[in-house]
Amino acid sequence: MEAATVRAAAPPAWRANLATIAALMARAKNELIRVPGAAIPGVLAPTIFFLGLNGVFGALTQLQGFETGSYESFIVPVSMLQGAGFTGAAAGVNLARDYEGGWVDRLLVSPAPRWVLLAGNVLAASLRSLVPATFVLSIAFVLGAQWPGLDGLVICYLMVAATAAAAACWGSMLALRFKSQSAAPLMQAGMMALILLTPAYAPLALLQPWLEKVAEINPLTNVLEAARQGFVGGVTWADTWPGLLALAGLLAVLGTLALREMRRTNV
Amino acid sequence: MPAIVVEGLERAFGEVLAVQGIDLTVDEGEIYGFLGPNGAGKTTTVRMLTTLLLPTGGRASVAGHDVVAEARQVRSTIGVALQEAALDPLMTGRELIRLQATLQGLPPARGRERADGLLDRVGLSDAADRRVGTYSGGMQRRLDLAAALVHEPRVLFLDEPTTGLDPVSRKTIWEEVRDLNDEGTTVFLTTQYLEEADQLADNVGIIDSGRIVAEGTPESLKDEIGNPHVELLISEGEVVEAERVCAEIGRLLPPKDGKRVLVEVENGAADIPRVVRALDEAGIAVESLELVRPTLDDVFVAKTGYHLEEEEAEAAGEEPVGA
Amino acid sequence: MSDLATTARVVRALGARSIRQTFRRPQLISPIVVFPTLLLVVQTGGASAGVELPGFPPVQSFLQFMLAGAMMQSMMLAGNSGGIALAVDIEMGFTDRLFAAPIPRFAIVLGRLAGTAALGLFAAIWFFAIGIVFGAEIEAGVPGVLLATALVTASALAVGGIGAAIALRSGSASVVQGLFPLVLVVLFLSSAFFPQELMIEPAKTIAEYNPLSFIVEGVREPIISGIDATQTLEAVAAILGIVVLGLVLSARALRHRLRVG
Repeated sequence: MEAATVRAAAPPAWRANLATIAALMARAKNELIRVPGAAIPGVLAPTIFFLGLNGVFGALTQLQGFETGSYESFIVPVSMLQGAGFTGAAAGVNLARDYEGGWVDRLLVSPAPRWVLLAGNVLAASLRSLVPATFVLSIAFVLGAQWPGLDGLVICYLMVAATAAAAACWGSMLALRFKSQSAAPLMQAGMMALILLTPAYAPLALLQPWLEKVAEINPLTNVLEAARQGFVGGVTWADTWPGLLALAGLLAVLGTLALREMRRTNV
Repeated sequence: MPAIVVEGLERAFGEVLAVQGIDLTVDEGEIYGFLGPNGAGKTTTVRMLTTLLLPTGGRASVAGHDVVAEARQVRSTIGVALQEAALDPLMTGRELIRLQATLQGLPPARGRERADGLLDRVGLSDAADRRVGTYSGGMQRRLDLAAALVHEPRVLFLDEPTTGLDPVSRKTIWEEVRDLNDEGTTVFLTTQYLEEADQLADNVGIIDSGRIVAEGTPESLKDEIGNPHVELLISEGEVVEAERVCAEIGRLLPPKDGKRVLVEVENGAADIPRVVRALDEAGIAVESLELVRPTLDDVFVAKTGYHLEEEEAEAAGEEPVGA
Repeated sequence: MSDLATTARVVRALGARSIRQTFRRPQLISPIVVFPTLLLVVQTGGASAGVELPGFPPVQSFLQFMLAGAMMQSMMLAGNSGGIALAVDIEMGFTDRLFAAPIPRFAIVLGRLAGTAALGLFAAIWFFAIGIVFGAEIEAGVPGVLLATALVTASALAVGGIGAAIALRSGSASVVQGLFPLVLVVLFLSSAFFPQELMIEPAKTIAEYNPLSFIVEGVREPIISGIDATQTLEAVAAILGIVVLGLVLSARALRHRLRVG
């Protein structure tokens, strides 16, 4: 019987899961490629912030305690991470829109494991975050930001991509919890707060005491320092591993929460 | 083994009991029509059977798998086309079916082959590489149906598949459902259209306010109601008097609108002259008269006290008679 | 009843609707309050060492300096939000109902602006409250608070006119919403967040001539120093300039809207 032929030919589970993730990522790229101008807001926001903050606070490098005289170099990783945050939050908004339109039902009614469905959305956001990051970085180099070295660049991009994945987990969790695009401000504000409650504008020692304490416990501080190290000095393992650990922790926590919501959509 | 078994299935949303302990069985190879008005609990039932919603009471199994404990196995054996077509306007038809094939775990080559075959089957080959956002409503439904079939499911759930479609598109979907059933697919179909249930279903379950109020083949349900009725279009202002006169001849049925009188007649066409004579003697003008055999709407009225479709006259067995 | 009285009555009624609409929907209020408050918090915490820079105006704290900028940001977002609300009214067909009524057409715009002005007032009160709670001193005291609040409210009205003009012209909420990045650009290219003299070129030069800078300084001066007549007059002139621009653009956009339907 043909039905039996269809079922007998099924590939091993790991291959089917990978194929599903790839297919969902391919669908996610349609938003950027097939909607004219769709990429612009995601690129524009971090770029405006980069240029704006540089123009406004650039004189802060005159203060003692700054490792660099180039505020562009100091602030560009912040803007790249901001872009990652926006991209991840946008993934959450898209998921909420898909939920409202019934598309998520199509995914949920398939035999694909829930983690696979989530991974497709999250990995797509992670890849997409490299677009605004590259745009902001290019502008920064034009304005004179320091070349971070290949190792510094790779680490920075890794931090950006992983932050976008964490932000996408956060956004997905909220999307599945509230099942509505009205949760969008919470998705965006949450990530923005996390990224800016760090030594974003100035080194840790120059922050106000309350922000210094918050930044010390904020995992994104380690991520920012890892991303920034090449732009303000040399790359060391001591400055890198805390960022990797912080992201691993964030992904573990937010990913678990998002997966939990994905599994509870039928409650 | 039955394709679907439901025992005491319940779903509560807070204080509201949307599905109140329903029981039904659908045999393999059957088309089961689940008929009821908006808000009756049809979609809630389908969402529980397709694992999109957890029941809050009772149990159900589809293709031998429990919908709660073996949800993943259920999803492997069912195809679903929900009330919302759930399509991505930015994808092409071909991309969508291929994605569905991937979601169902089909190998890529097999998925491509199935996509091409199904697009051809539902008449969308020419539009396959256009974006879904450019499709008409009928085309979107056909695409949704094709996507539900990509993995050759044993049980197909169709939630109001023809709502909002024009008559031609509706007939196309009906033909497709019949063909699928001929090939051995069990179909669980929810609808608010009497004609659809009458035409397609082997068995019909009528649901109202979360309960099944009647179940059986369309013919057995109609036979249960029994007698045909005469439907009279009365001149304005004389309806009440006409009802009084007709009540002396047979049982009055709930009115569809303020202009018609419906009276059940035991002897069918033979009772028409009595009705006409009585109204004539009472000086009541009749604009038109029809003998209407029991329909699923009559079954619905008998079980619930109101019409499912207020303005549509069911076609089965009408015999227009001039006044 | 005289024409003026009728207009006033209509503006009052539409203004009340506009205010009710705004305050009943948290998703409209929160971007105007949450985002600027967040930026105020992180910028105060992160860039406060800037008060040590030579040339930074004498202030009690960086928070004291930043309050005016936060109010400006909130005010600009309120203007944008008012424009979005008007565009939604156009998309939903509600403005057609108003156009079909025997009311002065411009009263429709004025009513919407009343809601925007209320948001501006709310923003001023909100940030003054935050400032006072967290220890910022208002050097000019109560008169200073009243003056700054009046300037913020008036500038919300002015910016709201621009937002309304764009809404009437485009008839699309997403177009007005898409102007949000422009709001940020205008803010960054002003002295909202840092003294203009300490900014980096070309932002520094642009900020020197940006009308928003004059308004910000007019709002800031009573907070960090005292009421200065020149600064106040410059702020009022800038606001009036934007009001005139907003009125002209709105009137033309209204004529366009009435023509195209």
